[in-house]
Amino acid sequence: MSEQVSRRDFLKLAGLGAATTAILTGCGPASRYVKREPYQQMPEYNLVGQSTYYATTCRECAAGCGLVVRTYQGRAIKTEGNAHHPLNLGKTCARGQATLHGLYNPDRVQGPSTGSWDAGIQAVADAFKKYKPSEIAFLMGMTPDHLYDLVSDLAQSTGMNAPLRYGALGMFESRATLSKAAENVFGQAGLPWFDVGKAQIVFSFGANFLETWLSPLAYTRGFAGLREKETKLRGTFVQFESRMSATGAKADKWIPIRPGTEGLVALAIGRLVSEIRSGAALPAFANVDPAQVADEAGIKLATLEELASMFVNSNVLAIPGGAALGQTNGLEIAEAVLTLNALSNNFGKPGGVYLSALAPNQEGTSRPASPIEMYDLVEKMKSGAIKALFVHGVNPIFELPKTLGFEAALANVELYSFATFPDETAAKAKYLLPDHHSLESWGYQRVATGVALPVLSGSQPVVSPYYDTRATADVLIAAAQAAGGKFASALPYKDEVDFIQNKVASLVGDASGSFSASDTATFMARFQQYGGWFRNVESLIVPDASKALYNPVKTTKPSFAGNGEFFFVPFVSPTLAEAGANKPWLQELPDPTTTVMWNTWVEINPDMAKELGLANDDRVRITSEAGSVEAFVYLYPAIRPDTVAMPFGQGHTAYGRYAENRGANPADLFGAYYNDAGDLAFAGMKVKIEKISHAVKNGGLSRMESLMGVYGEGLGGEEH
Amino acid sequence: MIRPDEVKMSVEETGKWGMTINQDVCTGCQACVAACAMENNISFVGEEDSGYGRSMHWIRIERFWEGEYPDVRMTPQQPMMCQQCGHATCEPVCPAFATVHSQAEQLNLQVYNRCVGTRYCANNCPYQVRAFNWRDYQRPEPLSNQLNPDVTVRRMGVMEKCTFCIQRIHRAQDTAKSEGREVMDGEFTTACAQACPADAIVFGRVDKPETLVAQITNNGRGTKHLAELGTLPHVTYFKEG
Amino acid sequence: MADKKPHDEHSHEEEMRKKHLMLDPLPRGKMNEMVMEAMLEKPTWKFWVVFLVLSFIVAYCLFYKWYVLITKGQGEAGVMRPDYWGIFLVNTVFWIGISHAGTFISAILRVFKAEFRRPFTRIAELMTTFGLVQAGFSVLMHMGRTWLFYWLIPYPNQRMLWPNLHSPLTWDLLAITTYLLSSTMYLFLPLIPDVAMARDRSTGWRKKFYRVLALGFRGTEGEWRHLHNAMNIFAFAIIPVMFSVHTIVSWDFAAATRPGWSSTIYGPYFIVGALHSGMGAAAVVLAVVQGTMKNMKYFVRGEHFDAIGKLMLIISMSWAYFYFNDYIVQWYGGDKWTRIMLHFHEAGPLGWMWFTMLIVNIAIPWAVLWNAKWRSNPWIISVVGIGINVGMWFERYLIVPVSVAINRMPFTWRLYQPGIEVPMGIGTLALFILLYMMASKLIPFIPVWEVQEGQLAHEFKKFGRETVVSVSELE
Repeated sequence: MSEQVSRRDFLKLAGLGAATTAILTGCGPASRYVKREPYQQMPEYNLVGQSTYYATTCRECAAGCGLVVRTYQGRAIKTEGNAHHPLNLGKTCARGQATLHGLYNPDRVQGPSTGSWDAGIQAVADAFKKYKPSEIAFLMGMTPDHLYDLVSDLAQSTGMNAPLRYGALGMFESRATLSKAAENVFGQAGLPWFDVGKAQIVFSFGANFLETWLSPLAYTRGFAGLREKETKLRGTFVQFESRMSATGAKADKWIPIRPGTEGLVALAIGRLVSEIRSGAALPAFANVDPAQVADEAGIKLATLEELASMFVNSNVLAIPGGAALGQTNGLEIAEAVLTLNALSNNFGKPGGVYLSALAPNQEGTSRPASPIEMYDLVEKMKSGAIKALFVHGVNPIFELPKTLGFEAALANVELYSFATFPDETAAKAKYLLPDHHSLESWGYQRVATGVALPVLSGSQPVVSPYYDTRATADVLIAAAQAAGGKFASALPYKDEVDFIQNKVASLVGDASGSFSASDTATFMARFQQYGGWFRNVESLIVPDASKALYNPVKTTKPSFAGNGEFFFVPFVSPTLAEAGANKPWLQELPDPTTTVMWNTWVEINPDMAKELGLANDDRVRITSEAGSVEAFVYLYPAIRPDTVAMPFGQGHTAYGRYAENRGANPADLFGAYYNDAGDLAFAGMKVKIEKISHAVKNGGLSRMESLMGVYGEGLGGEEH
Repeated sequence: MIRPDEVKMSVEETGKWGMTINQDVCTGCQACVAACAMENNISFVGEEDSGYGRSMHWIRIERFWEGEYPDVRMTPQQPMMCQQCGHATCEPVCPAFATVHSQAEQLNLQVYNRCVGTRYCANNCPYQVRAFNWRDYQRPEPLSNQLNPDVTVRRMGVMEKCTFCIQRIHRAQDTAKSEGREVMDGEFTTACAQACPADAIVFGRVDKPETLVAQITNNGRGTKHLAELGTLPHVTYFKEG
Repeated sequence: MADKKPHDEHSHEEEMRKKHLMLDPLPRGKMNEMVMEAMLEKPTWKFWVVFLVLSFIVAYCLFYKWYVLITKGQGEAGVMRPDYWGIFLVNTVFWIGISHAGTFISAILRVFKAEFRRPFTRIAELMTTFGLVQAGFSVLMHMGRTWLFYWLIPYPNQRMLWPNLHSPLTWDLLAITTYLLSSTMYLFLPLIPDVAMARDRSTGWRKKFYRVLALGFRGTEGEWRHLHNAMNIFAFAIIPVMFSVHTIVSWDFAAATRPGWSSTIYGPYFIVGALHSGMGAAAVVLAVVQGTMKNMKYFVRGEHFDAIGKLMLIISMSWAYFYFNDYIVQWYGGDKWTRIMLHFHEAGPLGWMWFTMLIVNIAIPWAVLWNAKWRSNPWIISVVGIGINVGMWFERYLIVPVSVAINRMPFTWRLYQPGIEVPMGIGTLALFILLYMMASKLIPFIPVWEVQEGQLAHEFKKFGRETVVSVSELE
């Protein structure tokens, strides 16, 4: 490198890892096909004083960001974003950073419950033979990965139930609703993608896109683009929601509207805009009366008019999401908001709305199971239609609302768990056959949304397995072989890696991608080295919205279950999400809005709290018709007085020492109500609040912020 | 607007390594906090101690509230870490020379094995960014496998703080030296800046006008916290707009 | 005494004699005997009960808890961000303050030839040494790595590392060490003739013990001259040391970059504060000695409490002056953070402490000590003295952990809640009392030679028909 190196080259290089010497390696410490070498030629991962860097894919959520993991003498030291990965461009979120606390967590499952792996594989094989294929079901994590493909293949050729993918994040994102709304408005199902970065004004109707929503890193990058693109003015961001989320906290204008009125507000703005523009309301918006909407939403008509005039002057990107979709009228809300975009005519244009690109070896859109589909599964378990349940990558006892009765239904089935962590579901398993941690695993993962390019993200082990765990794909392949017959022929692979190579074979020789290789071995080596393969062609799908403005949008009123006096807004903890509670450093990250660590709180408007005689750190019971939970009071200045909010992420009864018996799970309050797309109306509950006990000294929430400095509490009156 | 190349400034004033933080795009997502903890072997302290102001975060994200409901706003998130002052108030007060100024890097160093734990430096830091090891915080096995070999693991009774990832600075300098060149802008960065999904944190040589961080620092729109105390902080903050 | 009748000469003299130790001479031998008796008196069961209880408190609260603190870390105490400094430093300042009265009484009053000082210079000087021991312990407790305290001492070492002379803590360490050493020597010098006396009047191990301490003092004129010279030098030299010590202690705060602390008046303010608590403590100790030890009613009389009471009143006024001078200038300065901090003192959760401080430090002394009869009563002055010490401890508590709760980063403000410091602080108090108890059995508490010297110098003289007291210059 003696010649001049441009800054750009160096930026590229810097992204590879912390040091310029970092060369990403294709063959990790857990290479399958071993070649004997003389001892003098130590493998590079064993050299003293030298770090090696491996590209892989983050499995902390389903987004599929690329990681580069620094390892040192066989230990994983640090995760960084993979700068080559088009989804996250070298960035990581807090959960990606803390993935090592999962890998080296002191409470991992250390080996199969069967004692030996042979016995475990035999147990799976026996299950394949013992039960009719229709009595066997697979429940998997939300990620569309190689294991999902493997199980899909197995199910398809043996007649087992098609595997279901589920995750609490998917439930809170209401993916089925988004897809269905797209289908209703554009005539094409798919996961919408909102180009926040190039927009000038963004109206977000509850979408928590800076937290856990769909692809948080991509949306955060978009948000940074909205704020400071060098070529344009600073973009404006308006958030409509009843409780200020971490996303809403960044808004220039935060508009607290009554839960369930998001659709009406969108339509009212649409009506005002179309009236200003053309003098008459377009058919899509004809059903609403802005004055009445303002009244129902609990805001001023002037606010709507002001927003409409913003809209008239400049096109607006409208995003539906978050708790807005978790209403009984969630689908109508999503449709109304998508339709509002039609006024900006921004479909398929920069700063507008797209449908997400399909991943390289993906055939059609597929989405995770909606809660109502999960409900069907539970019913089948209860009725005995399903007798053996295989669970991988998801913790349904925790992630499914209690009201669905999954835990009780488990009594009727034989549960095979592949959990790496002793979570609530694993504790109920008859057979616990732990998979490797994701950093010890092979695989690939399809990136569902967040990037214009089709991306197949690659995983490889960055360290050798720490415990006596085994790749679930290997277990299933071995069990299928042992079971023989159609099982053996469904999975005719030597092992997991063989299967992956087989699956990516269609990409070998494809010249349109980030690299091309003519043979499988080279392709796989590069695939692992770069952390995936992506087609260099922007493949976002342009939705057809020609009819959107001319079909009246339904304005169904939301219904709220229960007779409590507060709307209940659950939200996913941005730092813990659904599976972060077992990682001590994630527990110790302050929540972005409340700065609370290690516990669960319930947010109440300070004026309302005063009325109820509640103070910070008081212990309260929150009761819905489905159940009740206890939490500490947090006087939250940015929440509607008629609303209370709780974070989802804590309240585990198992899941390791850092998660166990800590905080509460708001999902226990959810009733079994669904919107028209089959997503759970998780924000459609009304709750009661009763005080259990006063705040005790040193007994309240662990906060990063100072009650004295931020709220003037205990400072001595007016002076502050 | 005054640029370092126009007016002769002392080296303490300009600094060498500097950072800019764009509060307008900071979403408060805590990725920097987690990245910092992972890179620098920072202990977690548990619920009770973290709620009592004993968390060991080297970087924390501050935020306040403005206005009353419904016109309430969260003030722009403000990541606070050691400002690596040119005239640091922590330095002169340490009786044991455990808090010293690096002439070569223009950084405030904390010499862990020299620290006797008087906590004067932390008391005297106007930014309150120093973290003390109140106890021997435990990392149950095998969590210690994750420890970064480039960073000292601190024990009970010593002070610690943000180092601007000095281990990365040194590694980059060593590499550059062995290749017979200068460290280039963007060749490496701190753990927080590397993780930041919004690119709100930029790090580099503020004393070289051509670097990205120097250009941002010198664009005239930034502020330095508590600059009125004469501490010459080397982190520049940018509010919205 | 205008109303005194001229023929009442004799009774007037009697009254004066009763009032003033200096006018009520006893033979040297008799006084020696009385002092020896007080020291050698067989301890009563009450003494032993108190002794054992205090020993237990010292063993458990001070040493065992210290062991816990060292092994488990400062997390056992109430310190955190932003209250990195807590009660340990409150106690340090408090004990250094207590120690000041000893030097004040024995050095300044000696230099200014205040005759009333004579019987209790030693009792006061012991307070200096014993108080400094507690101060030293407290500052060691405060350190995160106590076992490395010697790194603060400038000793030649292989790495050529010296302590940082820019740091007020280094100045502090040097000042306190100097003070401890010089005050111990200054305690020892006037003790020599008394231990020599004790040596001559005791047997067994005591004789050996006093023989070592007496350094062969025989009472020759040369020895007396050397002793006087040395004491004179020390008396003058220790005064600036005393002033510097608490000034430097105040600089730990005043030199810091914190709202409310950066005050130029902190030096004298701290010294007066130290004297305030010190004189209060001296009054209490004197009352205890008078009340519990044999023959002490002769040596310690109402006049002594009266004199200390007057000093306390003056010091209380000076303290009030300095306190409000500091307060008003800080408040008038209008700095945002300082204003919040001052308001926090009065109206925050520890406002009661602020008001109590003003009441016991100012209101009560002013209300009580103006009355000669009241201030001559050991009970009343003890109560006032204890009150002042509580008030001064509160004052330091307000300056250290309460003030540092407020800084320039409101996001970090937090109220300090003490932990292990409380028992350990009680442990230092117990050790202080215990040391006094042990000293009372080992050291002649009254400098007999000094008392006798005073008595020799005092005499009644007749001017016409009036009898007046005359004091002759001895040196």
